[in-house]
Amino acid sequence: MEATQALLSPQGPTPHIEVDRLELYYGGVPAVRGVSFNVFPGEQLTLLGPSGCGKTTTLRAIAGLEQPTAGEIRIDGVTVYSSERRVHIRAEKRGLSMVFQSYAIWPHMTVFENVAYGLRVRRAGAAEIAEKVHHALDMVQMRSFASRRASQLSGGQQQRVALARAFVFSPSVLLFDEPLSNLDAKLRADMRIELRELQHRLGITSVYVTHDLEEALAMSDRIVVMRDGLIEQTGTPDEIYRLPNSAFVADFVGSANLIRGRHRPDLDGGGLIALETSAGHIVYGMAYGRPVGTEPVVSVRTVHLRISTEPPVAAQNVWRVPVEQTVFQGDFTQVHVSWGEQHLVARCAAMEPLAVGRDVYISIEPRHVVILGA
Amino acid sequence: MQSARSLISAQKIAGYGVAAVAAVMVLYPVFFLLQAALDVGDPQVRPPTAYGFDNFNGIFQYPQILLNTLTVSVAATVMALVFGFVMAWILTRTNVPGRHLFEQLMAVPYYLTPLLGALAWSLLGAPESGFINQIWRALGGNGHLIDINTAYGIAWVMALFEGSVAFVMIAAVMKSMDPALEEASQIMGASRLRTMLRITLPLVVPGVLGAAIFVFAEMLGSFAAALVLGTPSRYYVITTAIYQLVQQYPPKIQIAAAMGVSLFAVMFFMLFLYRRIVMAGSYVTITGKAFRPRVADIGPLRYVLLGICLLYLFAAVGLPLITLLYASLQKIAVAFPAAGNWTLENFRVAVTMNAVRSALANSLLLGFGTATIGVVLMGLLAWLIYRSRLPASGLIEYVVMFPQAVPRLVFAFGLMWAWVVFPIPIYGTLWLLLIAYLTVFLPLGVRTIAGVMLQIDKSLEECAQMCGASWGFRVRTVTIPLLVPGLVAAWLLLFIASVRELGASILLMGPHSKVITPSIVESWFGTSSELTAALALIQTLVVAVAMIVLVAVTRRVGAHPAD
Repeated sequence: MEATQALLSPQGPTPHIEVDRLELYYGGVPAVRGVSFNVFPGEQLTLLGPSGCGKTTTLRAIAGLEQPTAGEIRIDGVTVYSSERRVHIRAEKRGLSMVFQSYAIWPHMTVFENVAYGLRVRRAGAAEIAEKVHHALDMVQMRSFASRRASQLSGGQQQRVALARAFVFSPSVLLFDEPLSNLDAKLRADMRIELRELQHRLGITSVYVTHDLEEALAMSDRIVVMRDGLIEQTGTPDEIYRLPNSAFVADFVGSANLIRGRHRPDLDGGGLIALETSAGHIVYGMAYGRPVGTEPVVSVRTVHLRISTEPPVAAQNVWRVPVEQTVFQGDFTQVHVSWGEQHLVARCAAMEPLAVGRDVYISIEPRHVVILGA
Repeated sequence: MQSARSLISAQKIAGYGVAAVAAVMVLYPVFFLLQAALDVGDPQVRPPTAYGFDNFNGIFQYPQILLNTLTVSVAATVMALVFGFVMAWILTRTNVPGRHLFEQLMAVPYYLTPLLGALAWSLLGAPESGFINQIWRALGGNGHLIDINTAYGIAWVMALFEGSVAFVMIAAVMKSMDPALEEASQIMGASRLRTMLRITLPLVVPGVLGAAIFVFAEMLGSFAAALVLGTPSRYYVITTAIYQLVQQYPPKIQIAAAMGVSLFAVMFFMLFLYRRIVMAGSYVTITGKAFRPRVADIGPLRYVLLGICLLYLFAAVGLPLITLLYASLQKIAVAFPAAGNWTLENFRVAVTMNAVRSALANSLLLGFGTATIGVVLMGLLAWLIYRSRLPASGLIEYVVMFPQAVPRLVFAFGLMWAWVVFPIPIYGTLWLLLIAYLTVFLPLGVRTIAGVMLQIDKSLEECAQMCGASWGFRVRTVTIPLLVPGLVAAWLLLFIASVRELGASILLMGPHSKVITPSIVESWFGTSSELTAALALIQTLVVAVAMIVLVAVTRRVGAHPAD
């Protein structure tokens, strides 16, 4: 088993965290139904998925806050949970750290005491505590708040304190449970960048849970997309975004048009796969090494659909269609067009408004037409 | 690893141990109560020689008592709901001056106890000697203006007290209603009246109905007011009848037990109904989110409403206290005392009389004991029910909340019957009272502590764990400091409840283990009303001091919110 995992892992044979066939049931209700993945040293891995997909449960199982039903978890090669060997090391013995969704800032302590907690648990000396706490507070720009009580902090400030508290005692792994979800949109965008920078500076292995796609794309080295307690796809942000392997991922990771059709091997050629929709459109796409069934589904990102009023030069994947609706959304305009029996949605950079009902040309580069895995 | 396993199982064993103790405390007396109710054999012989349902038929030999109980309970419920609804509407929905102060003052009637109200209103409204009737005759009236020793007198006193409970429940419903629901109706063009009838009323009806059932159940089991006001005119309700049947010679234990079981069955059904309504019917309380209700500007009418608020608080709090003070300072309490009638003698007697001193000392001792042991026991139970993941926690909750549905008098009756045959002779000692208090106050203590415990976000403890803190360190540095204000509040509530307990104490105290509240009742019927007034005031003072500390503590809890 370990040998196969070593072969599967793209970055070498020594993962920092190994999650192996993890299952977790609440009573009889499955939350996680057999999940395996590795996290490599210094890597930031994100568990991404809608609420109820099991991502938080998986994170809490790694933390030791939930006891799984079956499977195995190893950290630094040490088995911290194994159903077969009946091992369950308690959370406080695992040497990890975590930032909670609610921040969990202790209201009866000052900022300094909150951050110092992990060091006090480890019986650090007073001088060491003062130095490390101030250094950590400096890193999150909260030094001047050291003597404040937690109840006097704003959400963003609590977030920073929670972060400082999590890394001050140099844990081997940092776990993040949707840490930004309680912040407003602007602050969230700023904190995203800050968190990423901090993570790079600390070089610490981290597992991050979120349901927010942009957050996952911006912050991760690798993303694990989960759904209904199972892994849907694992890959770099680029892979996940460009080459979704299922309708679920394509739709969840940004907006996509899904097109269903019948494979036309007779028209394949030049590395392109052809399919014919029920309306008779021939669409050329790419398989990226995936098997093509007789009735494949392809995904086209809304941003990859081009709209023009003049006929484009391309020979393939060009259609003349009527505009159904345009929605101005600031940075882009969303155009809905009628295309045979279905609608396609395109997101275009700000453009001249298009009258409803007027005909336009839509075109898609075949490399952006991605065949989904069966 | 091995240690982790064994720790979990040790936790489990301790948990089940505490749960078992609570179960025995609750179920052991209930078993004996049931046994007595089904005992149709020779009443002198225990254990019973024959079982049957004849005792329940026996209840119907007393149809007047059932009718009385129903009359008093219905009248009191209707009055309490009117008080509660009117006050809740005024204080949450209108701009009456000083509404925030009034909202806090509305808790005071509850802390004055029905006994105190009954004593005071008896002094005011007894047909012959009542102050109000004396004034009435002085003004030229004939006979008496009011008679407090009737069904409606009893109901009036109970309603004044229970009105604050109804207020709390109804105000909570009104506060949890999103004002946008009403605003939406207005935007659609509905008039104020139409909005009131079609939106506001339907939304609060389930909550008010729930309050009605809850209050009615409480009224069925209430004891003190009926005892003080009904006994002189031989007007009995079911609780006072049970007390009478147990106390008389020869006692009719079996019929009393059957009455107790029937009463408790009805109350249990009522509270079940209440829970169903609260859970299913109430649309507005689902989110549990408090909104700032829309406050209507009612112009000069607000001074009229202010008058109504003041009137209620005066009838429920001010007047009773003034009356007791007025009576306690006289040799013979009359409405128009002569100059020579004033005296401090009653207070001197109250604090020097041996019987009173020992009763007060016993009550304080029991209060400290109940509160201290109670906080530990109930804290553990609250943790077991709401924080541990023991599979049986739902069942434990039911058992622990069970005494809520049993009138304390009936429960004490079961306890008495149970412990009389217990090999360790604790009957007639303070120990039995301690056990009784710990049992009947289980719901109060567990609910109070659980309220604070549930406010503490679980991740606060988990975060300490993630920082590497062991269980002991976590409890010491995070859990306990966060819980302390709640535990102190629970301690004080248990202390207050113990010091003023009547229903259980009156049956269980022995000649050498007297406590204060039943002694006040004894003094009322046996000694003098002036001395009783002094005693009641002294007890109120003790409770008031505890109350002030309680308010100060809860303020502090509010000052640093634990979320």
